[in-house]
Amino acid sequence: MFEPYKTGHYYDEMLQENGEPKEHYRQFHSVLQRLSEEEFKEKHETAQSSFLRQGITFTVYGEEGGTERTMPFDCVPIIIPADAWETIEKGMKQRVEALNLFLEDIYHDQHILNDGIIPRELVEQNPYYYKQVSGTQFPLKNHIFLAGIDLIRDEQGTYRVLEDNLRNPSGISYVFQNRFVMRQVYPEFFSRHSLCSLEDQITHLQSALLSHIPSNMKKHTEPRAVLLTAGMYNSAYYDHVFLAQQMNIALVEGRDLIVKDNVVYMKTIQGLKRVDIIYRRVDDDFLDPKAFREDSLLGVPGLIDAYKQGNVAILNAVGNGVADDKAMYTYVPDMIRYYLKEEPIIQNVETYILSDPKQREWVLEHLHELVVKNVGASGGYDMLIGPHASEEEIEIFRSKILENPKQYIAQPTIKLSRAPVYQQGNFYPCHVDLRVFVMKGEETHVLPGGLSRVALKKGSLVVNSSQGGGGKDTWVLKEVMQHA
Amino acid sequence: MLSRVADALYWMARNGERTENNAHILQVQLVKMLEESGRESVNYQDWQTVIDICGSKSAYEEDYGELRVHKAVDYIAFSNGNSNALTNTLSYVRENARMTRDVIPNELWEVWNDLYLHSQSKGPHTEFSFQDIHSFLQHIKTTSMTSTGIIDSMMSRDLPYHFMKIGQWLERAEKTALIMKVMLQKAKLSDCHSFSEYDGQFALRLVNGYQDYSKKFRLKDPALILQFLISDRTFPRSIYYCIEHVKEVIWKIESEKVAHYSWRMYAALDELIASVEDVCVQQLSFEELEMFIADILNQCIEFGKIFSTTYYLIEADASR
Repeated sequence: MFEPYKTGHYYDEMLQENGEPKEHYRQFHSVLQRLSEEEFKEKHETAQSSFLRQGITFTVYGEEGGTERTMPFDCVPIIIPADAWETIEKGMKQRVEALNLFLEDIYHDQHILNDGIIPRELVEQNPYYYKQVSGTQFPLKNHIFLAGIDLIRDEQGTYRVLEDNLRNPSGISYVFQNRFVMRQVYPEFFSRHSLCSLEDQITHLQSALLSHIPSNMKKHTEPRAVLLTAGMYNSAYYDHVFLAQQMNIALVEGRDLIVKDNVVYMKTIQGLKRVDIIYRRVDDDFLDPKAFREDSLLGVPGLIDAYKQGNVAILNAVGNGVADDKAMYTYVPDMIRYYLKEEPIIQNVETYILSDPKQREWVLEHLHELVVKNVGASGGYDMLIGPHASEEEIEIFRSKILENPKQYIAQPTIKLSRAPVYQQGNFYPCHVDLRVFVMKGEETHVLPGGLSRVALKKGSLVVNSSQGGGGKDTWVLKEVMQHA
Repeated sequence: MLSRVADALYWMARNGERTENNAHILQVQLVKMLEESGRESVNYQDWQTVIDICGSKSAYEEDYGELRVHKAVDYIAFSNGNSNALTNTLSYVRENARMTRDVIPNELWEVWNDLYLHSQSKGPHTEFSFQDIHSFLQHIKTTSMTSTGIIDSMMSRDLPYHFMKIGQWLERAEKTALIMKVMLQKAKLSDCHSFSEYDGQFALRLVNGYQDYSKKFRLKDPALILQFLISDRTFPRSIYYCIEHVKEVIWKIESEKVAHYSWRMYAALDELIASVEDVCVQQLSFEELEMFIADILNQCIEFGKIFSTTYYLIEADASR
């Protein structure tokens, strides 16, 4: 079945160099072997069409009005043994804890800047640093209700953090839908595995959400929470629908909300109803045309004032972007040491800061070996993958860096781990990463597994869905594997 | 419930009903055309009626010129220029369903999405065969019935359900009134200046009431047919039935009270019910009947506006 699959120089999630499955994949592998090629093909197609029928799509911009696509689904799951997951879980909690302390600090006392751990201009000149909300008191002092942290594994199989997403990380709905479709289409895979279930995860998310009580809310009343979406043409609209539905909160658009006397209301058929908590999936800039971009049609005029007065909670907090910037990323291990007095459990990917002349010089000499990223961009845009780039592309980036060194960082091309995928009738290895979701309210909770994203194009390193990447189910095994 | 969501549910239901009705009407006409092949003049008159019921004759002429069957089908089913074309109303249903996905059952979204994707998967519509049309119309009917089944068996009888039902009934009442209005206009222009038995039976078929009527009455008397379509107590497509049910639901939404903001809505509804309840078609002259039906249709449209204002749906709609 797996011929002519070769693990090559990469770390493979499932197979050893000799083609045998790794210990924690053995049972899955044996079930897989028992399916005929015909059966497998048919199941594969059923799974794909199920996503389309359910409208589990994301929108790709650029074409006329945006086109809806389903994220291609691959049925070979990523399996994570219990002990490995335990380390990831601890590492994620540690990281989010430190990032949150950092955000609280830089919007209030700025100890970390005063102590010279992080260069002041990196914060204060950052376009995502919103002075407008400095000094604002947050419910639970929590800036991060939901984080999506991207992990990769290097050629030794060591997990490393690639990126922190602390603004509006999307993809959590796919985690649930992938599992749902997997269970429907491949029930036989599940019978011999004991997995961490996703069933009660939404309850954790919901209680984390509702624990953000704004300071002026009447005591002993139920908070009214809403999910603020940019609307059905937003690329992650399905994610918004899913979350609103599962958490049982209203899905609202900017035009459904109104601020009167610094209090936020929603417009209902019976008039205005007060809103206490807003889980927004709209970027900072668009939230309030009075405070930020005047031209925003998505926003709610006066929202930020209501927020600063403590009349409404906004999650994730305004101004988180400063902490998930690709340049700030290099300092996260320092934040962990500074605030928690601990060593980072999950390491960063080595990163070169291009505003530093020495590092820049070295990077410019080694562009063909490195990955260069714009610190402000996401979704795989404005990046250079050195080993795959033409001379011309490299020269373009050289001048981009020289022109604006602060805007870019460079990282070694990591040999991202790979896992088998089944597409177009055969198995082949593709690069994967893992987005882990951390929910933080009164308690911090890590969703077991997360969204495994896979670069389905042969040889491609970009796993992002807007660049043709797909998704895989992620299993966290309940028990530690018995090594015979 | 958010006004925007209520508005979307209301229009989803209206467009769903409209899609089903227009598909049915087109199907009736296509079958009728085959039965009557050879009698071309009758055929063209019927096509004109059908175009006026499902769109507008002048809009058709602007886009297509002379009346041809293939063009008429294209206009009713696929034309971008006809906002009531099946593919257009279908995409409104889907858009509104998508906007309210967190409120409606997943299955409801799925069936409409499935039909929508299916309608999009076919290439340019100018090349359709009659076989294609028939299966498309059948798909619409099955979807619409499945949708009704999902709504009735899965949704709680609370606000979202009520708003959808009101949309459906109002659309239906208007359609029944419109069918009668258009047919009376045609009858007036015909040679005999009266509503014939032929017209009556055609109207019954267009409203999908032929079977039900035949079970209740033996005579295919035109006046009796009109009376049936206007004020039958039990036929779910008579104007009376639809409006009466709208009132029942509004009564529930308002917890059986009349408030300062809702009295106009009640007043308009009561007036409408009284009109259709008391009318005796046989006592009306042809002209009076024509005016009566036109008036009922206007009252329905007027009521729709008052209803939307009462629940701030107009505001939600305007910002779209």
